[in-house]
Amino acid sequence: MSPRLRISVSGVRGKVPQALNVEVASRFASAFATYLDKGKIGFCRDSRPSSDMLGMAISSSLLAAGLDCVDYGLLPVPFLQFIMGRKNFKGGMAVSGGHNPEDWNAVVLLGEKGNYLESSEGSEVFNIYEAANFKRVSWKALGKRRENTFRMEPYLEKMSTIIDIERIRKANFKLVSDPCNGVVSNFLQPFADYFNLKLISLNNQPGKPFPHPPEPSQEHASQTEAVVKATSADFGFLLNSDGSRLSFVDEKGESLSEECTLPLCLLSLENRIRKAITTLSTSSLTDWAAEEAGVNLLKTKVGQSAVVNLMVAEKAGAGGEGSGSFALSSFSLAYDALLSLALVMDLVNREEKSLSQLVSSFPVFFMKKLRIEVPPERIYKIMDSLEEAYSGENPDLTDGIRIIRRGLWFQIRPSTTEFILRIIIEGKKEKDVDLAEEEIRERMAK
Amino acid sequence: MIESDLKISISGIRGIVGRSLTPQLIIKFAEAFSTYIGGGKIGVGSDTRPSAEMVKCALLSGLLSGGASPIDCGILPIPSLQVYTREMKLDGAISISASHNPIEWNALKLIKSGGHFLYPYEAEELLDLYYQGKFTRVSFPGKIVSEKKAFVLHEKKILDFVDAGIIKKRKLKVVIDPCAGASTPYVVKFLEKLGTEVVCINCRPGGEFPRNPEPLAENIQKLCHTVRKERADVGFAQDADADRLAAVDETGTPIGEEHTLALAVDYYLQKKQKSPVVVNLSTSRVVEDVARRAGVKLFRSRVGEINVSRCMAQKRAKIGGEGNGGIIVSDIHSCRDSFSGMALLLEYVADSGNRLSELNSTLPHYFMIKDKKQATFREARRILNSLKHKFKQGKINATDGLRVDFPGYWFHVRPSNTEPVIRIVVEGKDEDAALKAYQKIMDEIRK
Repeated sequence: MSPRLRISVSGVRGKVPQALNVEVASRFASAFATYLDKGKIGFCRDSRPSSDMLGMAISSSLLAAGLDCVDYGLLPVPFLQFIMGRKNFKGGMAVSGGHNPEDWNAVVLLGEKGNYLESSEGSEVFNIYEAANFKRVSWKALGKRRENTFRMEPYLEKMSTIIDIERIRKANFKLVSDPCNGVVSNFLQPFADYFNLKLISLNNQPGKPFPHPPEPSQEHASQTEAVVKATSADFGFLLNSDGSRLSFVDEKGESLSEECTLPLCLLSLENRIRKAITTLSTSSLTDWAAEEAGVNLLKTKVGQSAVVNLMVAEKAGAGGEGSGSFALSSFSLAYDALLSLALVMDLVNREEKSLSQLVSSFPVFFMKKLRIEVPPERIYKIMDSLEEAYSGENPDLTDGIRIIRRGLWFQIRPSTTEFILRIIIEGKKEKDVDLAEEEIRERMAK
Repeated sequence: MIESDLKISISGIRGIVGRSLTPQLIIKFAEAFSTYIGGGKIGVGSDTRPSAEMVKCALLSGLLSGGASPIDCGILPIPSLQVYTREMKLDGAISISASHNPIEWNALKLIKSGGHFLYPYEAEELLDLYYQGKFTRVSFPGKIVSEKKAFVLHEKKILDFVDAGIIKKRKLKVVIDPCAGASTPYVVKFLEKLGTEVVCINCRPGGEFPRNPEPLAENIQKLCHTVRKERADVGFAQDADADRLAAVDETGTPIGEEHTLALAVDYYLQKKQKSPVVVNLSTSRVVEDVARRAGVKLFRSRVGEINVSRCMAQKRAKIGGEGNGGIIVSDIHSCRDSFSGMALLLEYVADSGNRLSELNSTLPHYFMIKDKKQATFREARRILNSLKHKFKQGKINATDGLRVDFPGYWFHVRPSNTEPVIRIVVEGKDEDAALKAYQKIMDEIRK
C-alpha cells in the first residue's frame, strides 16, 4: 500500500507515520483554523493508537490560531455530528480512521452543523495548507481547550421519536454485536439498556487491536455468525470502528451483504420520506427498495460528503451507500450505524418477520466488487482508454465510468483513498457478470 | 542586524507565542528530543503562562510521535520536575517555562534522566537531530499518563531534611510571593507544613504576571510592603518557574539574591554538614567569606546550573548555587531550588533565635554592579583579550569568559550563551571601589 497521503474534501487519511503524522495533522489543523478565522471547534477521536497523538497536534494548532477547542475525547464521529447539529460550533475536527486499517488514520473536517465541506471549501483549506501561511495570535488571544462529555440521553431520545420505542422495548431482542474494538463499543451498552436489548458483545474493548479489518462485511462476520447460531440470537451486527457503517448476520447465523443495510433502512421508513440519495456504486437492491418504500432515488459520486451534501441541497430525507451506511436528515448529517440499527429493529418488529424472512423477499442480484492495483501514473491513461472504448454506450461519467445494459450495470472508478481501480459489476444473471468482467479486463489490458 | 525572536540554543528553545513559537516548531523539537532520548518515559511540567496549554498539546503530540510515553505533571515548578525525574527514574523531562522572560515568551527546558539539564555537548547532539529532521516516528504511539502528585515527592524530601519542629516552635509568619507562577498551587501548603503562618500575595495564576518575574529588589516592592504591614518575620519571592529565590527581612528590606544564597550556605555549613562549596564565577565574594568562616573550600564553576551541579559532583560539594538566588542543596537534588532555600532560611531563623536582619548583618557587605553590552562573537573575543592584557596584574581565571580578582574588587565578563551580548559583573569592597573598577572596565571595552 502506498505511503502517500490521500486528500479529499472530507479530510486527509493515510498510513501513520509515513503519510499522516503529527506535522501533517498540525499543519492541516492550522490551515482549517486559518480558513475558519475564529470560533469554537468540536473535536473527537477514535481509539486507534495514533489518535490521541494526532489529536494533541490538532488541539495545539487550533489554540495557536485563536480558536477554542471543545474536546469530546473518545467519541464516534456520528455522535459529534449529532451534537453539532444542535449546538453552535464554527466547525468540527475528528481523528478517526473509520474503516481503514489500524495503522492508518484520518483527520476529518466538518462544517458548522456537522456537515461535510463543499469541495470549494475543501480546496481553500488545502490551498492554505500548501501555502503554509497560517493565522497566529498572540498569547492574549490564544484559544481555550475544554473537555466535555457526550450525553447519550438526547441522542437516544431523538432516536425514539423516529421509531416505535415501546414495541421495541417489549420485544426483548437478543442481539450479537461486533464493534471491532472500536470507540463505538463504549456506547453500545447504554443503547442496549435504552431499547431493552439483551446484548452479547464481541470485540468491545476500545484501544485493543482490531480483531479483523474494521469494515462491516461478510468476510469479517464469521465470529458473529458462530455466536448468533450458538446463542439463538434474533440477529447479529458488525460496525466499523467509528460507528458509521453497519452490516447484519441473520437469525440463522448467515451474514448479509452490507448492500442490504440501506434497502432495509429505506423499507423501515416506508412512506415517511419522499426523496433519498445514494451513489452510482450502490446495488440495484436499493433502487428496488426505494420503489417499494415510495422513495424517489437520486444518485451521485461515492463518498459520505457527496451523498450528505446532495441530501442537504436536494432537501432529501435520507442518504446512504452500499458500504452499509445510512443517514437520516431529520436526525443528523451523518452516517449513523446505531440509527440504522434502530430502524432495522423497528422494521423486524413491525413486519413480525425474522431478518432472513425480510431479506428473502429481496430480488436476487449478482454483484462483483473488484479492486485492481494500478501504478498511480497509469490510472488516468487506463481511464481515458476505457472512456474511449465505451463511448458508444452513453457512459455516465459522474464518478468514473458507469454503463447500464439490460439486466446489468458496471462502474469503473479510481479509488480516492488508494492507488487502485474499483470495479463493480451487478446483474440478474451470474453469467452476464462474469462475461462483463472478462470484457473489462480485456479492454484494460489494451 | 535584526534579532530573531526565536532562540534555539543549547539551553533549549525559546520564542514569542504567535510569532516564532508555533505548534509545528514545538512538535518538531519534541520529536527530536524523543528521538535523542530514545523513547521511554518523559515527564512534562509547565508554569502558569496562558500559552502553556497550546505548547503542552504540541509537546505531548511530538513526544508520542517520537516513541516516548509522556507523563503530564500539569503545573509544576522546575526543581520539582527535576526531583520527580530522578526519583521516578524517568528517561527525561521537559519543562514549559520561559522563567523570567516576559509573558509573551515561552520556552522548553530539557532535562535528562537523573534530573539534570543537558550538558552543552549533549544539547548540541540534539540540535543536530533537530536541524537534520531525522526523527523516529512510530506507527503505534504510547499513551499519555496524567500525574497530579509530582510535587509531593519533592516536598517530602525537604520535610524529611529540615527540622519543621523547630520552625513551628518559633511561630514564624511568612509572606510568600510566587509571582502567580508554577509554585502557586503548592507553596502555601508547603510553608504551612513547615509550621509557619502564611500570607500569600500574587497567588492567582492566569493572564499577565503580576510583577516582573525576576526576584530582584526593584520587582518585589509589594512583598516588602506586605511584610511590614503583616509584621511578618520573613518574606520570600520566587520566579515563575520557582528555581530562584530572594528573601526580605522583617523590616521589609530585600536582603538581595546574593545574600539569600550566602545565608543558606552559611546555615548549611554550620548545622547540616561541613562540605566544600561550589558557586559560579559571577557570584559574590560573600560566599567565600562564609566558606572561610566554616573552614571549607570554595570552588567556582562556569555560569549555568548544569555547570555548578557538575562541579559540585566532582568536588563532592553538598551545597552551592548561583548568586542570582539559585540555591542548590544536593541532599534534596543538585538543582536550583527555591523550596530548599526557603526551608533552610526558615530553619536558620528559628534555630538561631535571631531576626533575619540580624543574621544578614553578620555577613560582610560588598557592592555589586551588573551590566550587559551588545557584542558579536568577534567583538566579545577582542574585548576579552584587551581586558586580559589591561588587568594582567590580577588573578586571572579564563574558564568562562574572563574573571580577574584584585584584593579590593573583582570582575567577570563573559559572552552570553543565548544572546549576542557580553555580561559584566563587578564587585568591590565598597561602592567607591566597585564604581572605579567598573569605569575602568567600561573604558577598556569601549576602546
